[in-house]
Amino acid sequence: FFNMAAGDTALWLHNKLGSTDDLWSGKTICAQLSQDKLQSIRGCFHTLQPHVKVKLMMSFLHIPRRNVDSWKGYLEEILMMAIHDTDQWVSMVGEILRTYPATGGLNLELEDNNGTFAEVLADLKKLVRKSMDVKMLPMECQFLNKTALLATTGQQPLPTKHFALKRKPKSATLRAELLQKSSEAALNKKRN
Amino acid sequence: IKLISDAGFQGEITSVSTACHQIEVFSRVLRTSITTFLEGGVEVMEKNLPEFTKMVCHGEHTYLYSQVMMNILAQEQKGGSNIRRICQELQKCANDRGLDVTPITLALSGAAAYPRACQALSSMLSKKALNPADITILYKMYSDNQYPPPPVDLIRVPAFLDLMIESLFKSNVRLNQEHKSKYIYLLSYATSVTETYKKGVRKNIEKKELKPTTQALEKVQVLCSQNKNASELLVDVATLFQCIKFPVIAIGVLAWVDEILSDKSYFKLNTDHTPLHLVLVDEIVTNHILLHQKALDLLIRLFESSFDELDVLVRLELKKTVLDRIVHVFSCGCVLPVVNYIRERHTRQDTDISLIRHFVSEVLDVIAPPYTQEFVNLFLPLIENEGITGKLRSDDGNDPVSEFICHCKANYAAT
Repeated sequence: FFNMAAGDTALWLHNKLGSTDDLWSGKTICAQLSQDKLQSIRGCFHTLQPHVKVKLMMSFLHIPRRNVDSWKGYLEEILMMAIHDTDQWVSMVGEILRTYPATGGLNLELEDNNGTFAEVLADLKKLVRKSMDVKMLPMECQFLNKTALLATTGQQPLPTKHFALKRKPKSATLRAELLQKSSEAALNKKRN
Repeated sequence: IKLISDAGFQGEITSVSTACHQIEVFSRVLRTSITTFLEGGVEVMEKNLPEFTKMVCHGEHTYLYSQVMMNILAQEQKGGSNIRRICQELQKCANDRGLDVTPITLALSGAAAYPRACQALSSMLSKKALNPADITILYKMYSDNQYPPPPVDLIRVPAFLDLMIESLFKSNVRLNQEHKSKYIYLLSYATSVTETYKKGVRKNIEKKELKPTTQALEKVQVLCSQNKNASELLVDVATLFQCIKFPVIAIGVLAWVDEILSDKSYFKLNTDHTPLHLVLVDEIVTNHILLHQKALDLLIRLFESSFDELDVLVRLELKKTVLDRIVHVFSCGCVLPVVNYIRERHTRQDTDISLIRHFVSEVLDVIAPPYTQEFVNLFLPLIENEGITGKLRSDDGNDPVSEFICHCKANYAAT
């Protein structure tokens, strides 16, 4: 009976997640997940194709938090099987999600899991430290008051001065005119 | 493929699904892309972003893996903010493709420690719309005097800030008046509060600028939402100038001006030589280096609109007025993007030559040496072009065009 159920579940997962055309479809199974389903997924996980395993795990991120809390044990068991999988994507995704059921956060201690990851990360870390002056500012920076900006990114380098200004552009006159008109309007308003 | 990758030819692996199949190959292609961005800066990144997005967004797992890798890198004290920007651009592109990346974004943001705030935020970000109930939850948490508020970074999310600006400054969003002050409070909080951390523990929350920011935002939001025309707004210019000094207000005003100027009847009805709204753009540019590109984008859109409803000569005058604003952006230090843009217009030959000439002569009017070689390389070809500057030259060579050419020939390498 158990194998039947597991077989059905494997087939169901294959139908739902088997396509390699859409690798973002993990979340489509969320509404149909239940404690029983997870239990039988645990039973058939090893029989699934690698990309189905990966998509299944990605669906965990879309499960409402209260469900994650109550299914925590099953989710963790499935992730543990994934971590020991021979497919490297499967084990990497399992490793990243390892902490998710318990904390809601992702596991960022990944160097031990995968040699390439560690190698690439180390290379890029060196490069990042050297690239201080590239200054691609995070997008929120343009919203921040000066003090908050300074606290987040430190002193900004002054932009390159490509020329000297011998006089102010026309815009300066316009600004003065507008302020003049504005104070006249304010005076008129007071009088009336 | 793995052999090609092992031999170090990441750049040769162009097929996305091939690159994504093996984690080792994918990791190396990822390294090549990030390296290119870090070495080339914003312009290179923007150019390569579509290709990069296509690869990273191949699957939800490749997106997850890439964001995890970059989030670790973004934590580097030195240079980490460069990577943070790449993360955000990627997130935005994925969003634009209709992919639901909010759970990954939030799982990486440390929001998990604040489940209620996290849930409120994620529901709004996923739906790309704010709602009073979730805003109220966040407002309560950030204004509570009893319990410490969540970290400010949680609401310092670009997509959230954009939604806030839209709600407060765009007319297509109907803002619930009863809750408006909460929106304003949260936006002010996100942009003005600073926190001090020691070894990952928050030691201090500095809210000194919260009140002045909130008050200024309230004032300007009311002004912008009243539908006043330019002459009615005249008395408020000083207030607007004052409040625009807050970056967040400048962004709001830009969004508001953008909407007003997009209305076809605006320039038909407005007879002032320089409409008030354009002077506001000048003022924003003067005050905020970080908003130069945003303002330039707006002006470019305006410059390129057809203005079909206007008489040909009026249209030309109006375009000159817009060009004067672009010259203003240029004079405030946004030099290369502006000159590049004008060159592009000239190359495409879709812009009246008198407009290019106008730009060039306005620029020559205000600049003086020393110039950078980079600037000379870009600008000199426009100046040397007979079609553009022929009419500006005199026979005796006593004119700004000839003088500029002469100066460059004498002092700079040939281009």
